[in-house]
Amino acid sequence: MSESVITVSELTRRFDSKMALDSVSLSLPHGAVYGLVGANGAGKTTLIKHILGLLRAESGSVRVFGLDPVADPVGVLSRIGYLSEENDLPGWMRVDELIRYSRAFYPAWDDAYAEELRQSFALEPAAKIKNLSKGQKARVGMLIALSYRPDLLVLDEPSSGLDPIVRRDILGAIIRTIAHEGRTVLFSSHLLEEVEQVADHVTMIDRGKIVLSAPLEEIRESHRVDGHTPSLDEIFVARVGMSDVTPSEE
Amino acid sequence: MVTIKIAVRARGLPIYLDSPESFGFVVMVPVTATFTYLLAVFSFGLDGDLAARQSMYPPRMFTRPLTTGALAGLPMLYGSAAMFVLWAVTRLFALWPTGSHVPSLWPALMLASLLAWTQALTWLPYPLPGLRIIVAVLWLGTIDAIAILALHFNARESLMLGILAPQIPLAYLVARFAVARARRGDVPDWRGTLVRLTQVADAASHRREDFGNSAMAQAWFEWRRHGRSLPVWVAILLPFELVLLWVAGDSTSLVFTILLAVLLTPPFMATFAAASVSKSSASASDSYGMSPFIATRPLTNAELVAAKLKMAARSTAAAWVLVLIAVALALELSGTSVVVLERWHRFSAVVGDPRAVVLLLLILWGCIASTWTQLVQSLYIGLTGRAALINGSVVLVLGFFVLFGPFAQWIAETGRLGEIWSALPLVFAALVALKMIAAVWIGTRLYDRRLLSDRTLVTGAACWSLAVFALYGVLVWLLDTPHIPHYLLMLLAILSIPLARLSAAPLALASNRHK
Repeated sequence: MSESVITVSELTRRFDSKMALDSVSLSLPHGAVYGLVGANGAGKTTLIKHILGLLRAESGSVRVFGLDPVADPVGVLSRIGYLSEENDLPGWMRVDELIRYSRAFYPAWDDAYAEELRQSFALEPAAKIKNLSKGQKARVGMLIALSYRPDLLVLDEPSSGLDPIVRRDILGAIIRTIAHEGRTVLFSSHLLEEVEQVADHVTMIDRGKIVLSAPLEEIRESHRVDGHTPSLDEIFVARVGMSDVTPSEE
Repeated sequence: MVTIKIAVRARGLPIYLDSPESFGFVVMVPVTATFTYLLAVFSFGLDGDLAARQSMYPPRMFTRPLTTGALAGLPMLYGSAAMFVLWAVTRLFALWPTGSHVPSLWPALMLASLLAWTQALTWLPYPLPGLRIIVAVLWLGTIDAIAILALHFNARESLMLGILAPQIPLAYLVARFAVARARRGDVPDWRGTLVRLTQVADAASHRREDFGNSAMAQAWFEWRRHGRSLPVWVAILLPFELVLLWVAGDSTSLVFTILLAVLLTPPFMATFAAASVSKSSASASDSYGMSPFIATRPLTNAELVAAKLKMAARSTAAAWVLVLIAVALALELSGTSVVVLERWHRFSAVVGDPRAVVLLLLILWGCIASTWTQLVQSLYIGLTGRAALINGSVVLVLGFFVLFGPFAQWIAETGRLGEIWSALPLVFAALVALKMIAAVWIGTRLYDRRLLSDRTLVTGAACWSLAVFALYGVLVWLLDTPHIPHYLLMLLAILSIPLARLSAAPLALASNRHK
C-alpha cells in the first residue's frame, strides 16, 4: 500500500481569472479506492485532466506511476482505464468494432473478461454506439475501461445522470475490480452515497482547494457527534456548504 | 474586391478583367468561396454527416420555443438576406469586364434559391444512407442547368426572375416538412427492404479481423472518420466531367481541357476534405478541441499525426485509382482516346519517348502528391484547436486568392515580368531560407519536447533530403537547357517537398492535447 500511484504536488491552475486548482497536493497509494468529491465546478475534472495529461501543470507537478503524463502519454495512458462523464465514444462504431479497436492499444487486453462484461451488461455486438441509450453507452465505456485490467481506473462522474440499474452495474464492476485484483481506483462523483459504498479514502475539494482528505472511517469517526455517525452527505454539507458554489469550468 | 476597385479607380492601376480567366480569378473565385461558406453555415452543413439518414438540422434547436415554420424559415430568411448582400456587394464592388451588362436581381435570386434548396435537402431525413448527396447533386444540378439553358437562349431578366422566384417558397415548404419530421424524430428506413444489399455494404465496411498494432487501429479509425470523403466527392464529380468527352468529339483543345479539369479535381476537392481531416476530433464538443476519447489513446502525438498521414495517403490513392480507371474507360468508350494518342505520339516524337514518359509520370506524381499535400498541409493549423488561428488562416487564404490575380496582372501590364523572372532565383532563395529556418526551429522544438525520437528525426531528415535530390535529378535531366540554371532547379526541388508545415503537426497536436 505504500507505493504511490499518483502524486500531485502543489498543483495550481487558472482559467483566465478563475482559480481552478489552488496548490493541490495529494498522494494516491497503490490498491486504494479514492473518492474525489465536490460540488459542480469545484475542480474535480480539472484535477483528473491533469492526471491524464490532458492539461499541463502551470505550476506544481503531477506524476502517475512516477511518470509525467504530459511528457510520456503512452507510458501513463496504457496503464489507465478511463471513463468520463462526457462519454464521447465514437457513435459511428459498432460495439464489436470498438472492442476490436480498443484491444489493439492494450497488450494486456483480456478477451474472456471483455466477453463476460459484454454479456453481463447485455450489449449487442452489432449495435452502433450512437443508437445506444445513455446507460448502455456508460456500460460500453466501462467495458472498454476495464477489459485490459488497468493498474489505475479513473472514473470521472461515471454515473452522472444514469438510472439506478446502470449505476449499480458500474459500481458492481468497480467493486469486482477492487475485490478480485486490488487495483487502484480514483472515483470522482457528487453522488456521495456511491462514493461511500466503494471508497476507502475520501478527498473533498471546494473551489480548487482540498478541504478534507482522509480515510473514510477516520472522517466518520472525527465527525461523530453524540454517538451518531453522520453520512458523507452530512459531512460534505457541514464542511463545504452548498449555498455559494458557482458553476464554472471544472 | 473593394481594395482592387479603389486601386484601379483612384490610383489608376492598369488592371483589366476583360479576359474570362482574369475575371474568374479575381471575382468568381472569392465570390464562389464565400457562397460555398455561406451555404455550409446556413444549412448547418458543417455540423453533421452528409451521408447519414438523419436530418442535419441541429437537434439542440428543436427545444427552442419556436414553431416549426419559424425553425425552418428563419435560417432561410437570414441565408437569403446574406445571399442578396453577397450579390449586391459583388455587383457594386467587383471590376466587371468593359461593356458587360451586369444583371440586377436574378443572380441574387439564383444564389438564394440554391441556398434554400440546399437547406431543405440537408434538413430532410432520408430512408437510405448517402441518398442526401445523390438527391442534392441531382436537384441542384437541375436548377443550375435550367438557369444556364435560359442564359444560353438569352433569356430576359424578367424570365429569369419568373423561373427562380417560385424556388424559395417551394424550398421553404420542403424545409418546413423536413424540420417537422426531424423534430418528431421521424427517420424513414428502407434498409429493411434492402437487407441483402445492406448486408453486403456492412460486410465491406465492417472490420472483422483484429488489428496488428495500435498504429493500424488508429489508421483505420482515421480512415473511417475522414478517409472516404475525398474518394466519394471525386466519384460524384467525375461522371459530370467525363460525360463532356462525348460532347467534345475530336476537338483536341476541349478534350485536353476536360482532362485537365479531371486531373485537378482530386487536389481541388482535397482542399475541402482537408477541413475535416485537420480537425483534432470530429466529436469534440467545442468542434475545434480534442475529444477525451482520442486524447486518452495510449499513443504519442507523433503516432496520432502519423495515423492521419496514412489515412490521407490511402484516401489519395483511392481517389486517384478512381480517376485513372474512369479516365481510361471514358477515353475508350467516347472514342476520344484517338485524339489523346495522336497528341501523345506527336509530343514524344519531339522530346523523345523517355522524356515524354518521365514528364507524364512527373505530372501525374505532381497531381497525386499535391492531393496528399492539400489534405495534410493544414494539419499544423487545424490540430492546434485554436478557433482564431483556424478562422484567421481561412481569411488569409481567401485574401491571397483575391489579391493574387490583380497582382499578377499588374506585373504583366506594367512590363515587370522580366524583372520578376530575373528576381526569381532571389525569391526562391529567400523562400528556401525561410523554409529551412522554420524547419530548424520546429525540429529543435520537436527534439526538446521529445515529440519525435532522435531516430525518427534523423530518418525523416534523410528521407526528405533523398526526395529533394531525386526530384532535382529528374528536373536536371528533364530540363536540360542552359536557360534554367541548375541551382534554380535545386531551389525548386527544396520548395516542392513538404517539410516545415508537416513537421509542425505534432507540435500543434501536443499544444491541443496537453493544454
